Order: sequence, then C-alpha cells, then structure tokens
Amino acid sequence: MEIKSTDRDDFRRIYDENYHLLIQVIMHIVYNIEIAEDLTQEAFERFYVKNMTFPSADDAKYWLIRVAKNLALNHVRRNKREIEMVEKARHNPSLSAEMRDASQAAVEADEKRAVRMAIESLPENLRMVIQLKEYSGLDYKAIAKVLGISETNVKVRVYRARKKLEEALSTEDRDVY
Amino acid sequence: MCIDSQMLSAYLDGELPEPYRTQVEEHLEHCAACRKHLEDMKALDKRILDAAFSEELLLRNKDRIYSLLDKKYFQSGKKVSFIRRRLEISLPSLITAAAAVVFIFIGGFMFFGTSAEQTEDILPSFALQADSSNVHYVSDTAGLDNYTLEEILQYLDSKGYNVDISIKGLQPLDTTVSEDAE
Repeated sequence: MEIKSTDRDDFRRIYDENYHLLIQVIMHIVYNIEIAEDLTQEAFERFYVKNMTFPSADDAKYWLIRVAKNLALNHVRRNKREIEMVEKARHNPSLSAEMRDASQAAVEADEKRAVRMAIESLPENLRMVIQLKEYSGLDYKAIAKVLGISETNVKVRVYRARKKLEEALSTEDRDVY
Repeated sequence: MCIDSQMLSAYLDGELPEPYRTQVEEHLEHCAACRKHLEDMKALDKRILDAAFSEELLLRNKDRIYSLLDKKYFQSGKKVSFIRRRLEISLPSLITAAAAVVFIFIGGFMFFGTSAEQTEDILPSFALQADSSNVHYVSDTAGLDNYTLEEILQYLDSKGYNVDISIKGLQPLDTTVSEDAE
C-alpha cells in the first residue's frame, strides 16, 4: 500500500509503527533520552516535510531508520565535546527507572553497561549492523536495504560483530572475577 | 567436519537458506561442540537484547511528540506547498555559488576591460554624459568676483544648464557668506 508522508492517516500509522524502533536505534547511538527524543521528532518532521510517497510502509520504515541513524551519528560527531556528558548519562542509574530492587538494579546496570560499552567500541560498520539486527527486529534483507549494502555483507558483519563482542565481553568477565 | 561459525550465526538468525539449514540441523544432532557454540551465541544474543533500553523509558514521550507534530502539520490544515518545502543548501555550496557570481562579475571587467560602447550597453544614460568629450575643464583667472550671482545664473541658464544653488553655513552679515553654485 502506498504511503504518502503528508497524509494524516499514513503519517499516524507510520509514526505508531516506527517510533519505538527509531528511538531505540537512536538511543543506542546517543545514549541520552532527551537527545534521542529530539532526534526522533526531527526524523519524523523530515519525513513529513520531504513530502514523499513510498511504495510501501516498509520502504518508509527503511527510509526513516536511515535518516534516524544518520541524525544520531551526525549528532555524536558534531558534539564530541558533549561526549563526557553522554558518558555520564549512560552511567547514570536513574536511566534504569524500571528496576525495583537496588542491589539487583546495580548488578543489572553493570551488565547492561558492559554490553553497551562493548557494542559502542565496535567499529561503526559492525556496530550499526548488530544494533539493527538485535534492536530493530529487521532481517538481513531489510538491514541491507537500510544500510545500502549486500545481504552477504550483512551476514558477514553480524558474524564479525558477534565474534568481537564475545571476545570483548569474555575478557571483561575475566577482569572482573 | 564442524559447521563454519558464520553459517551458525546465520542459522541462529533464521537466515540460512534451505539445503544448508537441514544440514546444520543434522550436524547439530550429533555434535556437542557445535551445540555448545550455538548455545554460547544464543547466550550472547540474549545479553545484547537485555541491554536494550526499556519501553517505559523510550516511549515516555511518544504521545506528546505525536500531538506536537500533529498540531504543527495537520491541525492547522496546512499542506506543504512547493514554496514551503524546505530548501536545503549546504553552507559550503552556498559560499561557492556566491564566490562564483562575484568572480564572473569582476572577472568580466578584469579580462575584457571596459570601453565606451560596453558602458553604453550597460548604462546608456551614464555613457552619454561621461564621455570625455563632454567634460570641459574651466578656469577663470579673474575669478567670478566681477559677476553678480544673477549674471552667472543667466549665463548658465542660457547654456542650458540646470542650476541648483545651496547656501551653506549662514553667518552674521559682516562676515563672508559662502555660496556654492553647482
């Protein structure tokens, strides 16, 4: 079904279907919920303002993910100075508002932080692929479309990212215990 | 022979096409090492997934932002007209374009110089007056003291000039009054 970005119903539908996905993708790049919300809004504004027609909802989705990803990456590049603040936000336990038990929360927060840091330390081409794979529920074909690479390339990068993460996270465990 | 790790990774994601898929499954049946490998990969996947941000956090402003956008773009009944569509020009390209215009403008004069004919093409009314044959240098050794202002004006008028007279710096009677006739 064709999607027109300035049609109110289409816009609503695309917004509902993709907000979660976009903010998740952005959040794993900027690690700050306020910034992630701003950038997600910006992505949808561009979607409207560009006044585009997409052959299907999936095409609109891929376009949006691409825009969201680029907005977030540009933001991080442009605000190198803010990186310390981002660092702080990531380590800020208040982010894990969902946790009830404090000590349990601390352990879980540590684990999450370790994984996030391991992902962040991946080279960008591997990082984007594994994040889209794990957090956006896209299959190889969709990731290939979003990133403009081949499916085989996606397969290879997913594997390499996993390998690197495994190494990074297991060394970390050894350091801890 | 055991399964290639990359194949196993694709298998885990459900992205392995058919002949290989069954082969991998058959191999897993009797190979503990590969089963272990797959389990490790699954465990890692779970760890990564668990590091996702919670829905609660991510979706806290979803509705607020939607109503903001809806208000901005749809409720006022506005449509994006051709003119309102954002024209996106990057700063460097804008500067390049501006520099090019200036260069062409100045370069035109630099390389081809100016001549009366060209000036006439560009500014016809100016060329007529500014041609060197129209400018006369006048000097009068006796000065204009011998003529009254009225005579000077009559003379100029007879030659067909438009004369504007302005008087500057009015002073008391006993000092000189300077008059500029143009």
